[in-house]
Amino acid sequence: MYHSIFSALSSKATIYVYTNDKEYREVFSHSKRIFLTNELEEADIVLMTDKRSLRSILYRLKVSRNVSKKPILFVTDYHFLKMSDDIVGAFYWRKGRSQLLFIKKRLQAYDIILPKEYQSFMIDAL
Amino acid sequence: MHYEYMNIRYFDKFIYFLMVLLIIFGLFLQFATIKSTDKLKTEEINQAEHYASKIAKLIQIRTENNIDEKLKDNPQFRERLNEVLQAFLTKQYQYIFVLQKDENGNYRFLLDGSEKDPEEYHTIFFPKSKLFDTVYSTQKMQIIEQHEGVEQIWLSLVYPIVNENKTEALLVLDLSESYGEHLNNFNSPLMTVVWMMQAFLLISLFLLVFLAYKYYKIHQDLIIDKLTSVYKKQYLEEFFNNKRVDNYHVMLIDIDEFKEINKKFGYEQGDIVLKQFAELLVATLASEAIVVRIGGTEFLVISPKEAGSVDEQAQTVFEVLKEKKYLIGNEVQHLTVSMSAMSVPAETMYIQHIERLLDEKLLEVKSRGKNGLGILDIKQLHEIRYTNIDYIREALDEERLVCLYQPICETQTKQIVKYEALVRLIDKDDPKKLIAPYYFMDVIKGTSQYIKMSKLVFQEIFSTLRTYDDVEISVNLDLDDLDNADMMKLITHNLYENREIANRVTFEILEAHEIKDYGKVMFYLQQLKAFGSKVALDDFGSGYASYNYLIRLEIDILKIDGSIIRELKHSPERTKAVLRSIQELAAVFQYEVVAERVSDKDIYEMLKELDIQFVQGFYLGKPRNIEAYLGKKE
Repeated sequence: MYHSIFSALSSKATIYVYTNDKEYREVFSHSKRIFLTNELEEADIVLMTDKRSLRSILYRLKVSRNVSKKPILFVTDYHFLKMSDDIVGAFYWRKGRSQLLFIKKRLQAYDIILPKEYQSFMIDAL
Repeated sequence: MHYEYMNIRYFDKFIYFLMVLLIIFGLFLQFATIKSTDKLKTEEINQAEHYASKIAKLIQIRTENNIDEKLKDNPQFRERLNEVLQAFLTKQYQYIFVLQKDENGNYRFLLDGSEKDPEEYHTIFFPKSKLFDTVYSTQKMQIIEQHEGVEQIWLSLVYPIVNENKTEALLVLDLSESYGEHLNNFNSPLMTVVWMMQAFLLISLFLLVFLAYKYYKIHQDLIIDKLTSVYKKQYLEEFFNNKRVDNYHVMLIDIDEFKEINKKFGYEQGDIVLKQFAELLVATLASEAIVVRIGGTEFLVISPKEAGSVDEQAQTVFEVLKEKKYLIGNEVQHLTVSMSAMSVPAETMYIQHIERLLDEKLLEVKSRGKNGLGILDIKQLHEIRYTNIDYIREALDEERLVCLYQPICETQTKQIVKYEALVRLIDKDDPKKLIAPYYFMDVIKGTSQYIKMSKLVFQEIFSTLRTYDDVEISVNLDLDDLDNADMMKLITHNLYENREIANRVTFEILEAHEIKDYGKVMFYLQQLKAFGSKVALDDFGSGYASYNYLIRLEIDILKIDGSIIRELKHSPERTKAVLRSIQELAAVFQYEVVAERVSDKDIYEMLKELDIQFVQGFYLGKPRNIEAYLGKKE
C-alpha cells in the first residue's frame, strides 16, 4: 500500500524514505524502488507513526539549516495532520476501515499532482 | 438357479439406487445445515434492522428532527447522544455511529457510540463502499459486507435518518466478525456431524463402487467362458429375462470328432482351435446374436429373426464353419460340424424346450453320419407345444381330455364285444384337434400330472360303463404303473368304488422293459383280478412280451402285436404258422386271443380263416366317441 502511495507522491525513480518505525523499516527493506535512509536530509518522504517522533522531526525540519530540500511528510494518524501544515496526508484505520486522505492545499505547496486513482481521497480541509 | 438370476437382475439396479440415495442424503445434510445457519443470520440481520430503526427514531426525537443544527454547536448534547448510542453496543454491534455528507460529498462523523476514543465531531470518514451513497439517495437501508481491515467487520447495516424526504444522516451499525463467526459456529456441532456423516457416506460410496466393480467381475466370470470369450450356459436365462424367446432363431452346433484334434495335437492346440472357432462363429453372426458354449465343443446360437430366415442363417453358419482352415503347427486342418436349427415358434416360453428339441435333431443329424445340418420344420415346431409340460398341465387342469374307443370284435360275426379306451388331449385353440399320447405321455410319465391324467381317464371309463350296461372297456396300463403306489392306490380305489362294474374292465399291460420280479407283478395283477377285472398282455410277440410271460404270469387275454399281424400281407404262410402256434398255446392256457392292427379286409379274412377269436383295427373301427359305435350298434 505504502509503495503505491509514495509512488503517487514522488515521481522519482528511487524514493528515499525516512522512518524510525522498525516495522515499517522492515516493510520497505524489501522494496526495489523505495530505499530507507537514516539521514533526514537525504529523504524524499518522511513517514511518521508516533506523536513524539513527529514532533521531533517537525522541530528538526524547522530549525535545521542542513536540510537543503523539504521532504514530504506523511503520517499514520488522522490527528497528526493537525500538528503541521507540512504533512500532506495520512493513512490510518477507522471503524475497521482503511482511511487514506490527502490535503489539497498542502499537496499544492509541494507541487504534487496525484494520479487519477487518488484524486477521490483528496480533501480541501480537515 | 432361477432365484440366483433374479438376484443378478436386480442387484445392479439396487446398487445404483443405493449410490444415488447416499449422494442425495449427503447433499441434503449439507443443504439443511447451510440453510439452518443462513436462517439464523437472516434472523440476526432482521433484529439489527429493528434496532437501527429504533435508534434512528430516538436520534430524531432527541434532535427534534433537526439533527444538523442541534448537534453543530452543542458538544454536551453530542456527548449525551454518544452515550445513548454506546448503550446499544453489545458483543454483536461493534460500532454504532452517525455520518453526514458535507457540501463536498465527504462523509463526516456526527455521532460515535464507541466507548474508547470516540471520533470527534465532523471528522472525515471514507466508508469505502458506494452503497453508503445509494442509501443516501434511495433512503433505503442496505446491508454491506466488509472485506478488509484488521478489525474485521462482518456486516454493516446502513440506515437512513430521513426527515421530510431529505436524508439527514446515516446511522451505521457494524456487526462484528466475531459475532458472525459465532453464528457460523452455532451450527458447528451439527456441521461436524454432517462432515462425519459425509465422510462416512463417501467411504460407503467408495465401498459400494468397489463392490459393484467386484460384482461386475464375478458376474462376468460367471457368464463368460474364459477360453472362448463367448457366453456360458448360465447366461441364457439372464438373456431371456427381458427378451421373448420367440423373437429368435436357435442353432445348436457341435464340432465333429474334436477329440481327434486334442489327441493328435494336444489340448493346448485344441484350445487354440476352439477359440478360433468361437471367434469365427461370432464374426459370422449378426451383431445382436449371442453365442453360448453349452458343452466342450457344443455351442448354442441365439440369433434374431430380423437377421434372416433360419434356413439362410443356419446354412451360412454351416458353410462358413466348414470352409475355415485351421493352421495347427505345420498342418492345415478342417473342422466339420453337426448342426440343428429352428425358428422358435410363437408363444414358446422357455429356451430349455427348444434346446431339447434341437438336441434330438442334432442326434438325428449325427446318426446320419455327422457333418450335416438339420432344420426342424414348421409342423414339428407347431407341435412342440404339445410336449410342453405347462401346456399339458393346463389341459389337464381344464380337463381338456377325452377317451376315444376302438372296438374289439368277435371275428366271425364282427360283433363288438369290447372297446379299447385311448386317451387324447384336446388342443387349446382348436377343440376338434386331438393330441395323441405320443406327444405328452413321455413328458408326464413319473410326474403328478400322469396320476392326474389317469384319474380323469378312470372317471371317464367308469362313467361310460355306468351309462352303457352292456359295454366292456379295456384300458392300457404301464408295467411301471403297477409299481407306483399312488397309481395302484388310484386304480384299486376306482375298482372298489365301482366294484359292481369292475368286471367289465380289462387292463392291457404294456411294458417298456423286462420284468425282473415276476412275483411282485403277479401280486399286483392279482389285486386287479380280485375285483373281477381281466388282464391282457399287450403287444405279445414283440419286444419284451415273450413266451416267458405265458409261463410265469396268469393273464386272461393275449393281444398279438400289430407288427406280426401286418406280416400277413407280406409273408402270409409263415405268419399264419406263427399265429396258429400262438393260438394253440393260448388254447392250452385258456387265454382269449385278440389280433391287433387289422387294417383291411384281406388281413381280416385270413384271421377269420385262422379262427382267431377277436380282432381289432381300422378295418373294424377307428378310435371314436363311444356314442358313435353305440348308435351304429343300435
